[in-house]
Amino acid sequence: MLSRSTDKASRRFYGWRGSSLSFRLTAWYTGAAFFLIVVATGILYVALSANLDRNTDLFLSDKVHVVAALLRDRPDDWSGLREEVELESAARRYENFYIRLLDQRGTARLATPGMDSELPPARFSVSLGRPFPLRSQNRRAFRALVERVEVGSVPTATWTMQVAVDLTQEDDLLARYRAWLWSILAIALVSCPLIGYQIARHGIHFVRDVTETARRIGSTTLNERIQPEGYPDELADLARTFNGMLDRLEEAFGRLSRFSADIAHELRTPVNNIRGEAEVALARARSVEEYREVVGSCLEEAVRLSELIGSLLFLARTENPATHIKRERVDLPELLNGVRDYYEGSAAENGISFSVNCTESSTTNADRALLQRAVANLVSNAIANTPAGGSIALSAHADPVQVRIEVADTGVGISAQDLPNVLDRFYRVDPARSQASGGTGLGLAIVKGIMNLHGGRVEIASTLGEGTSAVLVIPNQATR
Amino acid sequence: MKILVVEDEQKTARYLKKGLSEAGFVVDVAADGRQALHIAMELPFDLIILDIMLPGLDGWQVLSRLREAGQQTPVLFLTARDAVPDRVKGFQLGADDYLVKPFAFSELLARVRSLVRRVPARQDDVVRVGDLEIDVIRHRATRANHRLDLTAKEFLLLSLLARRAGEVLSRTLIAETVWDMNFDSDTNVVDVNVRRLRSKVDDPFDRKLIRTVRGVGYVIEVDG
Repeated sequence: MLSRSTDKASRRFYGWRGSSLSFRLTAWYTGAAFFLIVVATGILYVALSANLDRNTDLFLSDKVHVVAALLRDRPDDWSGLREEVELESAARRYENFYIRLLDQRGTARLATPGMDSELPPARFSVSLGRPFPLRSQNRRAFRALVERVEVGSVPTATWTMQVAVDLTQEDDLLARYRAWLWSILAIALVSCPLIGYQIARHGIHFVRDVTETARRIGSTTLNERIQPEGYPDELADLARTFNGMLDRLEEAFGRLSRFSADIAHELRTPVNNIRGEAEVALARARSVEEYREVVGSCLEEAVRLSELIGSLLFLARTENPATHIKRERVDLPELLNGVRDYYEGSAAENGISFSVNCTESSTTNADRALLQRAVANLVSNAIANTPAGGSIALSAHADPVQVRIEVADTGVGISAQDLPNVLDRFYRVDPARSQASGGTGLGLAIVKGIMNLHGGRVEIASTLGEGTSAVLVIPNQATR
Repeated sequence: MKILVVEDEQKTARYLKKGLSEAGFVVDVAADGRQALHIAMELPFDLIILDIMLPGLDGWQVLSRLREAGQQTPVLFLTARDAVPDRVKGFQLGADDYLVKPFAFSELLARVRSLVRRVPARQDDVVRVGDLEIDVIRHRATRANHRLDLTAKEFLLLSLLARRAGEVLSRTLIAETVWDMNFDSDTNVVDVNVRRLRSKVDDPFDRKLIRTVRGVGYVIEVDG
């Protein structure tokens, strides 16, 4: 329920999904800026008007105090009182105010001239001590205060004092202020979108740069890169990510084209042998023995081609993510001993000792035939690269997380600059030697492919002149 | 034994006919699917070797029509397509075997023989080839009454060759049968193992029994 309503809200929120990013940013900037301006001006207005009211109230209570003091201290100084009530008001330029004194019977004893016509006594409320708004006969705004005052230092009577201040000045001020606020809002309404759009455009131009670069890139211009200097952090990150992707693409493309060239080269040699031998043989009549020799040689080359094609197709399958492997419980000692049995003769002929070290009854969940092929390829490689007197150790170690199968030799080793490439197709550390030994240069690539299919990896460590250790790491998970 | 070879590639058809004829079979060749279907319906064959990519009807269609018509002649598919679903499809339609190009002719021959005979190779307890005698039960091999000192795998290898004496066995087949190595590459290891076997079986004697057939494999026969 909650998620559905959130969903609906977000759909409404992103209703303008199709519109451009700069439009969205502009709308957001405008909305936010306008909101802030409205809030700020509103607060200022409210504060100003509250302040004005406070001043007025202070003025009112001042007046009350002055008159009250006069009445208390000098109740007989009628002229002083009159001056305070009648003349003071007339002397003030801005704030018209009225004072009226009513005796205990409610009769007006003294009042500012004009007050009766403007503000008759009955208009004042009876609540004491608290200022209140008041409208005059002419609909003018006043603020008024009613207070009891004692007459004489020893009170002889309690009069009522009515004070009112004309608010016209304040209202005018507030009106002017409102006019200002409205014009500020009007200006903001126009300028916010314009400025917002400029900001958005400025922010977006980096994105446009990235787009431009992406558009320029084709298979022949994979070396193009975005220069992320001067980019804001988030976009610099995007640019670096983009560049990283290009690096990988360029690398992959390079490999692919090298690979095509390698295939052509690998095919060229046997095909050339077949063609040449057949051509030379047919150039003139030969003995049966010679023909037999030629046909045999051609057959050997054809077998080599078949194996190459088989390996290439196999590799292509390992790289296809849709390829499924048939996992089963594989008994590791049995598998390793099987491989040892197969290669033992080869190792012995080359003067290499061969040992298997594997925990009893350790197992893994893998495609048996593929795993066997991977181990066999590593062993074959080890034999080819280990001189007489050396040794090869085949071991397996299973723990709850993964299975590690290691093929370690005391062979010639691999140099540090060759090490990252040895798993590549057709990569040969020493082209001349490997060619002679009949390898296709695909063995380790196939090992890597098989490990990929199992969600595992190949770890190769080597020291030149001391030996190589290749480890197959298979994570222990039933399915992947 | 009559075999129908259905193959539109002329060279392939020619060498298949030649090779199979020399191996003692009577071979007819059809170059497209319709012709093949027609011949197979009219004449009795012991085996049909069927290419999948054919003009007219493809191999799958030919097979399914044959089976619909109640023809139960064994069928061996030949194909350049090596995808597992293709294989499965072939077997579902009722194919008896499946061979991917390029293949070794010896491999084809071995499969053809097993399909036609439907009987396993010699299962005698004691196998004899010339003065070589292999006692399968007691795990003992002797030559000219001299006991041969063989490892377990060497014994298996020798038994395999002897049981199918006269038949050239490919390195792949040998690696598969003796060492359970199920892949094509690196079969030169088989050469090493055969060489070691020879050093015990043939080297001490004048008459050599194990013969290398260049580019194909190994055969054991009396008059090498």
